Amino acid sequence: MEFSFGESASKIINSTGFSGLEGGDMTMLLVACVLIYLAIWKKFEPLLLLPMGFGALLANIPMSMMASTDTGGLLNFFYQGIKHEILPPLIFLGVGALTDFGPLLANPATLLLGAAAQIGVYVTLIGAVLLGFNMHEASAIGIIGGADGPTSIFIASKLAPHLLAPIAVAAYSYMSLVPLIQPPIMKLLTTAEERKIKMEQLKPISQTVKIVFPVVVTIVCCLMLPGVTPLLGMLMLGNMFRESGVTARLHETAETHLINIVTILLALAVGSSMTADSFLRFETLKIIVLGLLAFCIATVGGVVFGKIMCKLTGGRVNPLIGSAGVSAVPMAARVSQKVGAEADSSNFLLMHAMGPNVAGVIGSAVAAGVFISLFGDTVVTEPHAAIVDVIGSVEPGAKAALSQVVEVLQKNH
Amino acid sequence: MEVSFLAAINVSILAMAVIFIVLTILIFTIQTLVKLIPYEPPPSLPSKQKTISSVSSEQDDHVAAITATLAMHMGKSPKEFKIVSIS
Repeated sequence: MEFSFGESASKIINSTGFSGLEGGDMTMLLVACVLIYLAIWKKFEPLLLLPMGFGALLANIPMSMMASTDTGGLLNFFYQGIKHEILPPLIFLGVGALTDFGPLLANPATLLLGAAAQIGVYVTLIGAVLLGFNMHEASAIGIIGGADGPTSIFIASKLAPHLLAPIAVAAYSYMSLVPLIQPPIMKLLTTAEERKIKMEQLKPISQTVKIVFPVVVTIVCCLMLPGVTPLLGMLMLGNMFRESGVTARLHETAETHLINIVTILLALAVGSSMTADSFLRFETLKIIVLGLLAFCIATVGGVVFGKIMCKLTGGRVNPLIGSAGVSAVPMAARVSQKVGAEADSSNFLLMHAMGPNVAGVIGSAVAAGVFISLFGDTVVTEPHAAIVDVIGSVEPGAKAALSQVVEVLQKNH
Repeated sequence: MEVSFLAAINVSILAMAVIFIVLTILIFTIQTLVKLIPYEPPPSLPSKQKTISSVSSEQDDHVAAITATLAMHMGKSPKEFKIVSIS
């Protein structure tokens, strides 16, 4: 076998990523660098955005076989964890192990604040439909308003996998912007007197109640909405590890090593889905705008319901804790504490706000369960970009036949 | 488009209703649980001997803390002080 110098050189040059680099790839490499910058220097949810940005960087290097759609590639294997709904529930296992439901159990009425905050999900769903998305896509976009990353990824991968990348980026970016988004809305909707309201000390809760609570929630919620069982079940299992007192090793593993490992895999997998053809579309811009709307409306819903509760209880509930009904734990609760302390420095709202904050986790999971119940068995996926390209390049007769084949395949999927 | 918009509104109203119903049921369940299993404070320390030793160990802690603070304030080593009791 003989290799001429020219042929060999040509082969090597053609095998480099530079030879396959296009405008879209270069743009996405820049977007990846921006995400990494935001994670490190601006501290925007660094645990998620850094691996997500790096995953996007790897996926957009031509011929690297690192995109989520490159069968047999490393990140394609990680992506199976999202596609088969494994990684988000495992994250929830860790979240449950980290969460103390004590403040919620001491004041269970705050579950309603977690419910009220989900209005952001449905207003965004309506907005998404008005902007031209179908119901599945609108549901996946709306769930950004739940302010819960794993839930957003879970629903997006189930109902609109082609929108997973922009939805995940929007969800995690806005979660990190909660301290900027929420305070102006909270101050606009509440009076200075309302912000100064001091709440009664939370009553202590029996440890037995804390142990029985996860079992009760699983039975009550999952019997009503079976589709939410992977998420809520894992959340409650993690909490059982924490509260049972007999699984210290499992608790420690779930809240540290497991959640860290799964976070890396999940974020890399999401990043690997950020390719030019899935991300650089007008829909991405719409999703980013709708995501902001979702967070704002969720905050409005929580604070307005907080005001209603304040009126109904004769001023015993500070409306500021309503904004913590978005499930960005514990950031939203800290924002309630901060805004309350600005009005009265001796007012400590943090533990009171933790009740609606963790209620929001349950609320967003229930909202996801409703979407799965309504749309989960009729998933419509957009034809993959490659198939559309192939159809577009053949002669009309064959094109019609191929379109029919694709239609049948989609119906049977 | 109008049909989709109406469908979205219907879904939203239905879904919010479901969420509120599910969480209200959960509230009642938690309230029942808390009533059935009331909080019991942990038992207080029983014996006098335990009390004396706990007081004396508490005083030792106070002495150690005051010694360390004085030493830091005066820029000296804690070994140069000997506080034996607090009245």
